[in-house]
Amino acid sequence: MGNSRRTLFALLATGACVGVFALAIPAAEQAGAEEIQATDTQIAHAKPHTAEQLKAFNDVFMEEVRKGDLLFHGDGATAKQMGVNLSATGMACAMCHPMSADIHPHEFPKFQEQIGKFATLRDMINWCIEKPNQGERIESDSDAMKALEAYMYWSNRGSVLDPGRH
Amino acid sequence: MSDLNRIRSEMDAVLRPEGAHPDRNLKITRRIFIQKSIMTGAAAGAATCGLFPIMNGIEVAYGAEAPFSFAWISDTHLYPKTVNTRFVEKTVQAVKDVKAMSPAADFLIFGGDIAQLGDPVELDLGNEILKELTIKKVYIPGEHDWYLDMGKKWEKLFGDPNWTFDHKGVRFIGLDTISRAPDYWTAKKMSPEERMGHMATLDGTVAGAWAGVGKDQLDWMAKTLSDWDKARPVIIFSHNPLYEYYPPWNFWVRDWRDVQEVLKPYANVTNIHGHVHQALYNEIGTMRSIGMLATSWPWPYAPEGVPALTTPQIRTDPGNHYDGVGWNTLTFGADGRTETKYNIWGRTEPLATAEADDGTADNVNQRVHPRIADNQWPY
Repeated sequence: MGNSRRTLFALLATGACVGVFALAIPAAEQAGAEEIQATDTQIAHAKPHTAEQLKAFNDVFMEEVRKGDLLFHGDGATAKQMGVNLSATGMACAMCHPMSADIHPHEFPKFQEQIGKFATLRDMINWCIEKPNQGERIESDSDAMKALEAYMYWSNRGSVLDPGRH
Repeated sequence: MSDLNRIRSEMDAVLRPEGAHPDRNLKITRRIFIQKSIMTGAAAGAATCGLFPIMNGIEVAYGAEAPFSFAWISDTHLYPKTVNTRFVEKTVQAVKDVKAMSPAADFLIFGGDIAQLGDPVELDLGNEILKELTIKKVYIPGEHDWYLDMGKKWEKLFGDPNWTFDHKGVRFIGLDTISRAPDYWTAKKMSPEERMGHMATLDGTVAGAWAGVGKDQLDWMAKTLSDWDKARPVIIFSHNPLYEYYPPWNFWVRDWRDVQEVLKPYANVTNIHGHVHQALYNEIGTMRSIGMLATSWPWPYAPEGVPALTTPQIRTDPGNHYDGVGWNTLTFGADGRTETKYNIWGRTEPLATAEADDGTADNVNQRVHPRIADNQWPY
């Protein structure tokens, strides 16, 4: 757990209150599973957000983007830290996708010709790891996958959502 | 009109004498004619006034004194053999293919980025593979060759980074567009490896606008051309394109306007460049620019700035490491025409003829942004 996440929990706890919505809406739908452990009597958006809260939310996201950026650009230390081997050829994701161009995360899910089936972005990430990069596939819901996905979406922000496009 | 297109258009208006084109003798072949019928938008507009997007082979009158051809290989990006054998295989294959040309190529131009990280082992490996070719060879450097030891090993193996020679009525010039990066390393006390790492990351934000020709080399080029008949053909080899295509990836030289000023009096100039790893064609003033293939991997087309005169390369299947890459030949025919061929392994039609196969088609819904992690300590 990173510092920014701990800060987020503290801020959520500070701003929390018990309300009828907390009874009506399952907590799991309000926030990530980890936060629920610490905030099972709280609801999201209970009070107007403070600048610190918003910064903390953003810090959680940008930390994932940063890790994803490093993995995407072949940073060996980050890969080792996260226990992944994304490439055995010296190739990094960014070598075919500078600035994450030509990934088109906004076009998934779609029929992916190389895979020969309906595929998600995570399926395609693993295909790229295994085929061009000759690396080891990663779990679909692993930290590394989430970080890579965060970076790709962040870097493609403002793109037009266009699922299914060839 | 985007800012870039406006700048290009203004530069073209200033540089192109009335009624002049990079070449006045384009021949319509069946292949071009078929292509023309399905072209749309700006490219079709250009075609009607005599400028054609590049085809599988463009065919233009060139005024060479005798028929000849030369071959281009570049962007092999060799790692040591222990790291990556695919890049080695493809470099070996390109050399074999050039050796098999009949009639033989008069010379080979290696257009830079023989190595991936400027490692002497990588540079030696490239040199060894290219030794198999016994025809004349000339070399220009790429940024991947240079920034570990600031070009020392490269120059020892391959000589001066810029040069000129005349061949059968054509003046050839090799330019160094990579060695004049602004110093981003001293103040940050970077190791040679760190300096090289930033330079080797196309979408990095630390090395900045490193590609340039430089005042000293521009003066040299002007002097080199001063005794050359302005109507006779000039071919300029450079690693980076000599116009502004996409600066964030250094798909340009930062002093491209100055380059155009020097070349302005010359009516028949062709710039042949690497670095972009893709088929490209553009014209500004009286200069045409043609982008060559890499043997290593294809870059995607930039999210914006692809010249309207470019017919994009066909989409690549990254599952096949021989796809989307290869080498080039330029043949000067007895009839005075020149054909530029994209030799993509396994492809008979390297350029797209429909939007669904076009490597730029998805740019319409895509917005991309620079990375951040290389600007944060300790990166």
